[in-house]
Amino acid sequence: MAKASNLTRTDLDSSFESQLSVSSRTSNRSLRVAEKERRKNQIGDPFVLALKYFSEVEAGTACAGNDVLERNLVLVERVGLSRGLPPEAISVMLDYAMSLRMGVTCVRVLKFLIPATVVPQEAVVRAVSWLCVGKISSGLLCVLFPYTCLKLDHLRAIYGFIFSFVTEENLSPYICHLLYLLTRRESVRPFRVRKLLDLQTKMGRQPFLLHLLSLYKVFYPELVTLALPSRMRSGFKNHNSTWKVALCAVQKRNRGQVSSDISLPLGLKDKTNFRKRKFHHLELPSLSSSIQSNSSSSRSRKVFSLEQLHSFPQLLDNLHCIELPSQMGSLLGSSLALCYLDYVQDDSAFLRLNFWLGHALHEEFLYCSRDGSSGSSSEALHFLNRLLSTQHFLQEGFSSTEGFLYKFLNVWDGSLLRPQILGLLSDIPVVPSSCISQLLFEPLMQLFFTSTLFFKCSVIDCLNNMLLKWLTWHSVYALEDGLDISLNSHTPMNMTLSGFMDSVMELVRFVGRLATVGLQLEGCHSLLLSFILDFYETVCDMFLKYGLPLVVMPPAGVFYPALFATDPVSVDRLSYIMYRWGGVVTSTPLRSCQHQQAFHISRQTCQEFNHYLLFMVSCLWNSKMFLPGMAIEVDQELLALSKVPEPWTSFDLNHHPAFLGCALDFHLKCWPERKDIDFNSIKAAKPWNWYMEFLFSQGFQGLQQFVQSSINRRAVAGISGQRGSQPTSR
Amino acid sequence: MMLYLTTFPYQDSSCIMGKREVQIHFLTLPVLFFSVMEERKSTEETPRNNALAQRRSKSYRQSMRSCVEATHLTYTSGLLTALRIPRSRKAPKSCDITKQVDPDQVALLVKKEWQLSYVTPLYQFRHTQLKSYSKQLSAFMVSEKQQGLAIEVGQELGFKVNFSVVLGLAETDKDAETVFIQILSKQVFSAKDAAPKVVWSGWLTCVNGDLDYLRSLPLEFVSLPLFCTRGPESLTVLVKTWFEKTFDCCFGPLGINSTNLQWLASLWTGCHPTINIQYLKLVWTLPTLPPMDVTYTVHPQDAWELWDSMRQVDTTEDSISIDEVTGFIKGLQSHFFRHFRIDLSAGSLMQISTALGSSHHSGKIKIASPNYIPTILQLLTECALLKMPI
Repeated sequence: MAKASNLTRTDLDSSFESQLSVSSRTSNRSLRVAEKERRKNQIGDPFVLALKYFSEVEAGTACAGNDVLERNLVLVERVGLSRGLPPEAISVMLDYAMSLRMGVTCVRVLKFLIPATVVPQEAVVRAVSWLCVGKISSGLLCVLFPYTCLKLDHLRAIYGFIFSFVTEENLSPYICHLLYLLTRRESVRPFRVRKLLDLQTKMGRQPFLLHLLSLYKVFYPELVTLALPSRMRSGFKNHNSTWKVALCAVQKRNRGQVSSDISLPLGLKDKTNFRKRKFHHLELPSLSSSIQSNSSSSRSRKVFSLEQLHSFPQLLDNLHCIELPSQMGSLLGSSLALCYLDYVQDDSAFLRLNFWLGHALHEEFLYCSRDGSSGSSSEALHFLNRLLSTQHFLQEGFSSTEGFLYKFLNVWDGSLLRPQILGLLSDIPVVPSSCISQLLFEPLMQLFFTSTLFFKCSVIDCLNNMLLKWLTWHSVYALEDGLDISLNSHTPMNMTLSGFMDSVMELVRFVGRLATVGLQLEGCHSLLLSFILDFYETVCDMFLKYGLPLVVMPPAGVFYPALFATDPVSVDRLSYIMYRWGGVVTSTPLRSCQHQQAFHISRQTCQEFNHYLLFMVSCLWNSKMFLPGMAIEVDQELLALSKVPEPWTSFDLNHHPAFLGCALDFHLKCWPERKDIDFNSIKAAKPWNWYMEFLFSQGFQGLQQFVQSSINRRAVAGISGQRGSQPTSR
Repeated sequence: MMLYLTTFPYQDSSCIMGKREVQIHFLTLPVLFFSVMEERKSTEETPRNNALAQRRSKSYRQSMRSCVEATHLTYTSGLLTALRIPRSRKAPKSCDITKQVDPDQVALLVKKEWQLSYVTPLYQFRHTQLKSYSKQLSAFMVSEKQQGLAIEVGQELGFKVNFSVVLGLAETDKDAETVFIQILSKQVFSAKDAAPKVVWSGWLTCVNGDLDYLRSLPLEFVSLPLFCTRGPESLTVLVKTWFEKTFDCCFGPLGINSTNLQWLASLWTGCHPTINIQYLKLVWTLPTLPPMDVTYTVHPQDAWELWDSMRQVDTTEDSISIDEVTGFIKGLQSHFFRHFRIDLSAGSLMQISTALGSSHHSGKIKIASPNYIPTILQLLTECALLKMPI
């Protein structure tokens, strides 16, 4: 005993040393140096000596009371369980164990054969070839089994040989698992199916048989059929669990050095939450290969079914021979399958998917054949979320979703699954302008005007997203068209582009109408205004960012509430939008040479822009308002009735209610000693410039850009009492 | 004129909340005046714009161009080829269906009550593969019945499934031929050589389906939108599941809404001169508390005269318009109102029956006379196609 413990200590020390060497290798020494050192260590290493002993020990050596054997065995076991064995050690020990040179010890050996990195191929092949000798006990094979799982490619050649073991009673679970891992399409043969079915009648419903048979069904659904019971667990249970735990522990310790092929392939896919529900239309069908395509033509062809697809590299390797499943609805659950779907662009596949999807949506939300509707809402929520994520993944909406939404909008109460429905709505592709109003605008308008503020905001947000998607789509595919037009001048390019522009125009105008009335209804609520300005930020980027030659101004019902808003953010964002538009308008003459037919800003739009700009500058900057010739004219007498002193100054930057706080702050900082606050004093040249700097430093970037682009500020340091700058009118 | 009005508690007299049933028999019908009654819209939800659309192509050019060219399979043009609810139909003509169709097969279809469903187009369904479908389905059924037992396809099993084609029911060359399915089972305790008994039957059909819709489908799809079944619900579910798995299609229940029931009533009444319909029975359910069922039986000759008076409005002989149908039903309703002060238009028409057949709101139909099969099937095919998701 003392001897043994002594040995253990040395072993521990050596393991500690080598661990150190490993860490030092990874840290700063070159590989070659490390290798040399390792070699040097190994010469005197008791572990190497032990291995040498096992490789050379003669058959028939007694094991009972053999101290040398025991010592070496303990040594190797120690290393195996702590760090795992290097490949050559695995090879040696496996060969030793399988050749049964020393009887009973082999089971013990197999238990501590934990691979540190990889299992060498030849070791496994040799181990299996020992099976041919036929003196191996079945229990031994059970222990051997995990090793064979690690190296499958080389065992495929002897599939038939391994298959013949399936009838041996206590072996068959292991053999079935091994076969399950080995089986390929070409190994499924009718006689094997029959043999397994015979076995099934003999042994009853054994899970391992069922798993193997269900794999056969994946390859040849026309040969065998079965329904897996819902309570059946997935996978095979017969892993050598102690071995697996040890393997995991070693892997954890040597993390980073583990090669991927050690991980055992997964078992059957679990049939997830098989719920008892009267209507199953929201349930995704499970992936299964189709009987159809298998039956005749493709039998000779190599086919890879989606059920076997587990990783992206696998997808890439088999891209040419992947077979679509029998039910396209099952693709919705798997992003890999969706990748493939996007790649093949198979029209009938999409049509199948659309039929399924449309059916599910119609049955659930339109035909409402729900007797037990309670509790189904969470399922519907889950379903729609999945649909949304699929559409986002494919970056396009399904036509069945689109068709469904047009119908559903007419019966929707505006609250059922609102985020999902609006999300789906924002995914719909460009609608031709001829029917956009009937399909989309009319039902939306009704909902919009009769719903809460929050709903109004979500609708505007949804339409903003829709516009963004349309524009992105345009900017991606317009390029292709450009190519096409040079090849073939017959394409109705102008026609299509104008069609698209009409639709976009309709959408922007529609939002303009919604926004105008919405702001009135909600008393110019800042939250709603913020969503509306979001939309117009997208609109003003249409040309510069997405290359769509279209300029649409916001209606007066949006512009003035934003300008007179009580929060500075709205005014700031309006300034930014005006600045962006200024960029478009000024750049137009330059660009119009290229887009002569396509881009044409109407005189009216230009005038509108000038009106807005002029008004904004004179209102914020020049303290002029309500003058004849401006966009808003108010009778002087009427103004006098309001008894507001100097009404024309009430919306310049130092009096504007939105900037009141800033002005106050500025005033206090500028003249800390003054008790009476007079905002008019900011108007003086020097404080005005400081005030501007102060405003810009408060984060009003939009205002800054607007002022810098639209207002020429003269350096007028000397002239006091005068305004520091002049507006430029275009 | 004789008139019976009997009111009695529905079945169980102890049940207070049970339905009252009012049964009225009109043996003679006085001359009817078309009285204008308040028109109430039927409440059923029928999709108006049922568009067949395919996934849009990803290219800007293609989808936009096809939008202009209005092909059938683009995403929006489906709106142009939307299926519409017909406003007029051809008058039913009595035809000897047995000339086109095997009389034995016709006998399988008539005089039985079928439960209706709609089916989306079947992917890669081939009429030539029916034998292998029989094997597949029977194996599938056994494996589903014995969960967790693998079944070899083609083996002799407890179930025998027969697929067969009913040739001749299709009216246009775009209609796929009708497929009839029978499931036979050997009883456990029956004699050894006893013939297996039919436990379930069903058929898929398409008669005079909308041509634009059928043309727009790619070749891989076979549209047999109407599925009629008869037999235990559990077997129906299994068959549907197998179809869904094999042909990637979807099933949904197909009810017959009151407009279509009215159509059927008018069509059948119109047949009276050729075949005696013996009676016209209509069942309404009125939304009272408790709900009241009104069974309204009309003498065939009276019904026919009322119908004929409606028909005179129209000049063309062989087409019937929806106005005539609503006029006919309104006439019946106003007559009822004059006698009982019960406005039937406030309720919903649940069921109609004549000697030629009967049909129920929940999607049950029985065709008693083979002569008018195509007319009825055409109407039902329309209903089924209107349910298509795209």
